[in-house]
Amino acid sequence: MSGRAVRAIAPALAGTGGARARRALAFWARRPGLVASVLLIATVLTAAVAPGLFTSQDPLTGVPADRLLAPSADHLFGTDQLGRDLFTRTVHGAAESLRATALAVGLGLVVGSAFGLVAGAFGGLVDDALMRVADVLLSIPALLLSLTVVTALGFGTVNVAIAVGVTSVASFARIMRAEVIRVRDVGYVEAAYASGVRRPTVLLRHVLPNASGPVLVFAAVEFGTVLLAVSALSFLGYGAQPPEPEWGALVSDGRDYLATAWWLTTLPGLTIAATVLAANRVARALEAEETQDREPLP
Amino acid sequence: MARRRLALPAVLLFAAGALAATGCGASESGAGGGTPEAGGELTFALASDPGCVDPQQQGNNDAIYPARQLVDSLTDEDPETGDIVPWLAESWEVSEDARSFTFHIRDDATFSDGTPVDAEAVRANFDSIVELGARAALGSSYLAGYEGTTVDDTHTATVTFAEPNGQFLRATTTFSLGLLAEATTSLPPEERCTDNIVGSGPFVLDEYRPNEVVVETRREDYAWGSSLWRHEGPAYLERLTFEVIPESGVRTGALRSGQVDAIGGVAPQDEAGLDDGGFTVQSRVNPGLPFGLTANISRPAVSDQAVRRAVLLAIDRQEVVDTVLSPSFRPATSTLAHTTDTYLDLSAELTHDTAEAERLLDEAGWRPGPDGVRVKDGEPLTLTVLWAENFGPNENALQLIQQQLRAIGVDLTLRSTSIAEFTALREEGDFDYTWGNATRTDPDILRTQFSAGLVNVARLPDGSPLEEALQAQNAVADPEARAEHSAAAQRLVLEEAYSVPVFELTTVLGIADHVHDLDFEASSRIQLHDTWVS
Amino acid sequence: MARYVAWRLAQSALVLWAAFTVAFAALYLLPSDPVSIMAAGGGEANAVSDEQIADLQRVHGLDRPLWEQYLDRLGNALTGDFGLSVQTGDPVTEVIAEALPGTLQLAGAALVLAVAGGAGLALLATWTRARWLRQVLLSLPALGVSAPTFWVGLLLVQLVSFRWGLLPAFGQEDWRALVLPAVTLALPTGAVLAQIFARSLRTALVEPYADTARAKGASRARVHFGHAAPNAAVPPLTVTAVLLGNVLSGSVVVETVFSRSGLGRTTAAAVDAQDIPLVLGIVAFGAAVYVVANLLVDLAHPLLDPRVTVGGPAVAA
Repeated sequence: MSGRAVRAIAPALAGTGGARARRALAFWARRPGLVASVLLIATVLTAAVAPGLFTSQDPLTGVPADRLLAPSADHLFGTDQLGRDLFTRTVHGAAESLRATALAVGLGLVVGSAFGLVAGAFGGLVDDALMRVADVLLSIPALLLSLTVVTALGFGTVNVAIAVGVTSVASFARIMRAEVIRVRDVGYVEAAYASGVRRPTVLLRHVLPNASGPVLVFAAVEFGTVLLAVSALSFLGYGAQPPEPEWGALVSDGRDYLATAWWLTTLPGLTIAATVLAANRVARALEAEETQDREPLP
Repeated sequence: MARRRLALPAVLLFAAGALAATGCGASESGAGGGTPEAGGELTFALASDPGCVDPQQQGNNDAIYPARQLVDSLTDEDPETGDIVPWLAESWEVSEDARSFTFHIRDDATFSDGTPVDAEAVRANFDSIVELGARAALGSSYLAGYEGTTVDDTHTATVTFAEPNGQFLRATTTFSLGLLAEATTSLPPEERCTDNIVGSGPFVLDEYRPNEVVVETRREDYAWGSSLWRHEGPAYLERLTFEVIPESGVRTGALRSGQVDAIGGVAPQDEAGLDDGGFTVQSRVNPGLPFGLTANISRPAVSDQAVRRAVLLAIDRQEVVDTVLSPSFRPATSTLAHTTDTYLDLSAELTHDTAEAERLLDEAGWRPGPDGVRVKDGEPLTLTVLWAENFGPNENALQLIQQQLRAIGVDLTLRSTSIAEFTALREEGDFDYTWGNATRTDPDILRTQFSAGLVNVARLPDGSPLEEALQAQNAVADPEARAEHSAAAQRLVLEEAYSVPVFELTTVLGIADHVHDLDFEASSRIQLHDTWVS
Repeated sequence: MARYVAWRLAQSALVLWAAFTVAFAALYLLPSDPVSIMAAGGGEANAVSDEQIADLQRVHGLDRPLWEQYLDRLGNALTGDFGLSVQTGDPVTEVIAEALPGTLQLAGAALVLAVAGGAGLALLATWTRARWLRQVLLSLPALGVSAPTFWVGLLLVQLVSFRWGLLPAFGQEDWRALVLPAVTLALPTGAVLAQIFARSLRTALVEPYADTARAKGASRARVHFGHAAPNAAVPPLTVTAVLLGNVLSGSVVVETVFSRSGLGRTTAAAVDAQDIPLVLGIVAFGAAVYVVANLLVDLAHPLLDPRVTVGGPAVAA
């Protein structure tokens, strides 16, 4: 992430001076929602990396006799139809859901940025052609485009991630292109060209770093949307393989028990909603910081 | 490849032979009582979209419910006794060698377009089913080796086969060989799915809007029902509406709120609630192959009989039924479900004995590995099972079986697929086990599944002892001789553990109290000619 | 103006053609075997022979070179013929036409709710002087866009239908059965509308013309609803096509959760059955909805907003 982009969360860590620390404290104190969001995202990330910190139970093996127990101190989220602890499954599900989300965002980011970089840097026909492709991708409603890819590739978490990633390629391309056009004509880039540095080198060394800020912020903005899309496809049955506890699949598994076991759909769904909400809140802060920092280039 | 689908056929789709004879007689039936009243309508909620309501092209239960009402069959099967009884054919003769079958057809039946149901119609239907081939998979498999149908006189037809075909008589009880008018048989398959299906049955297709509804109306001049039915003449109900409601919770809710009169595919967890709530939960075990795991013996690990036997012993059938199913279900007690013709009780073979299972694996060289999974020559004992969600509880049942096998050090990996892709992937053979069932009242379903020349799910070589038994049961017409060969085949499958039966598929319906005499026929599909509402 | 219209029309047609091509390429080049899937039918225990497979391939024209199939499909698509659905054998166009009314009803109701709710919320949030109320109102859309649609639908079924028994969860004819799915589908769209509209309203309220109106003695309500609101309505209008696309996408999930029949469930069923001609037809339809909506908005834009001059750069294509 670029220096500019992280500054929204950075103030607390950046300064050592008293004034700086006080300013940071004030910054966070004014934004309790943001604090909660950052904490929640940190928790979810930790769960994805080290689920063992939250629960010692096995997400895949249950006790059939203890099935469909309501939430209690022993089972925070209750148990499912096979007697597995739902809290444990939700914690372990974080890894699968976040991995798919990261893969999808990463795909959009890398492919989209490459598109945008080339389009912006070369201009002319190349630009026209690539941007028309982006228009076309945007013209197909996102879920329909994902379903097309899923139909062709088959079901599975990775395929779902690819299907969702494809839908954000066009947006990333547009943002990257706009940034590239903004920076390509500024002094130091022209200077680099003039001093005989080859085009790809200029692109990678000078244009890309300066253009990447907004693109990375957009990646943060996309995170929530992508998590929702991945969950929706999982919910529809195109994603994770049972017994893997992916979040959308957990909600889907519970829907046969709506009348008898409310916790099976409600709690994993709440986890998704809370994570998306927090991710969006953090992204908004990053975005605000980005815009505010956007001083004109030399 | 992952699949978690609820909005899909809740009831078995892999209805292999789906034997359809309509027979109810004294069998399980809807809440009886009172004198039947003619008139009224019935709205039935299906668990999945039929896709095609041509009885000759279909195999999935949700399609069969509406399709069965449109056609009559030559014969019917008594669900209680397994006897073949008259329907459109008043009598028949089978040759000693089970190669030729002569049917004497009643002379008063007509298709709904007015054309007669006669020997010529029988010939046209069987010829066209053979021609449809893959599009009429069930019917054309019953007619394998078909040489032709001769029209002996207007109402007598003789069907002949190149080889003995002992199962054919019972096959004529099915919807798959139900008779359609020439207006239908002369059309290409894709033009007779949502429309143009002209049969001689008690109901006539009004319209089918995919993913939404099938509507049928009563045939007023109907007078040639099966000899098993409760009454003669036209059906009581004037109109049938089959609504497609894939979500099981929504389906149950629709029944409770009175939006529909009966539902199929009742989820196990909803049964108790319906029972208490003043609704009738009506069920019947589907004949044929129970749900279970069938080994692909061309794969190294399961080519070893010891491993297959260990899997058979490690599964706790009762726990599966108790945990993921309902009291309507029963653990499997043989290679065939107990409602199948020639079923042999082999429950003594199907015990749950983990100690013995572990001993078998130890002996075969599979030693406990570091993470609990057994290892031999550096290879972990990881087995892949291919499955599709053609029945709601499949996913839960497999996850539980996965846990049970894990206890003896076998790692079962679930590889799910869409129903559409299942057959193609099964052909590829990239798995150790397949999970599935097949509904049919005739034991010949074993041959269809295991014979080297047919589906051969287990990938058995030609000329195995099982193959001999399978061929033998179809080569004779005599019921006793067939039963003997069928019993041998059922035993062999379990001894070799080619297949590990787990539970018998049960068709579970939820029915409102004002609906009466909603009967199951021999293959546990519904028959609505006698149904009435008060 | 005529030249601009002609140019936009040509551009739209080009986008549609390309969308069709992209979908065709994805569906026909990638690994999936429509024929063996077709042959699977619904029955299981059947051995399908190689000749039977070849037969089916011939019937569906799948034995011909890909480019030939493409040109054929494209040519037919131009005349409104998208081939036959693999599941039912009915023409794809007919399948879509039959599924459409259910979805139009649902989407129409959802859009009305979304526009009314979204605009109402934005107007109220910018109108109120109570700081706490404004804070609460402005934080609602963030919740709306974060909650998974499928989850909201299930919660509503669970509470409103099952627990309180207020509204039915299923039904095609009864208007009461439309309420829950429409609310579910409206929620994310309404939330997005509210966000955009609230932002543009706040901007509009500090524009010079608002000040001028105030200076001329216009009442607060007059400035708010008479001057600022119409101007602020332009930005939400430009995203109409995207929102329509979202509603169409959302119908896949909502119709599944509520077991409603319509285009969304037809789509899910087509994906399950790998009904490739039908998926292609639905994608083309979705793209057409987007492109036409965009075209209309673009053409209407100059009429709504005097600042946009004809012939200027098109807004999003």
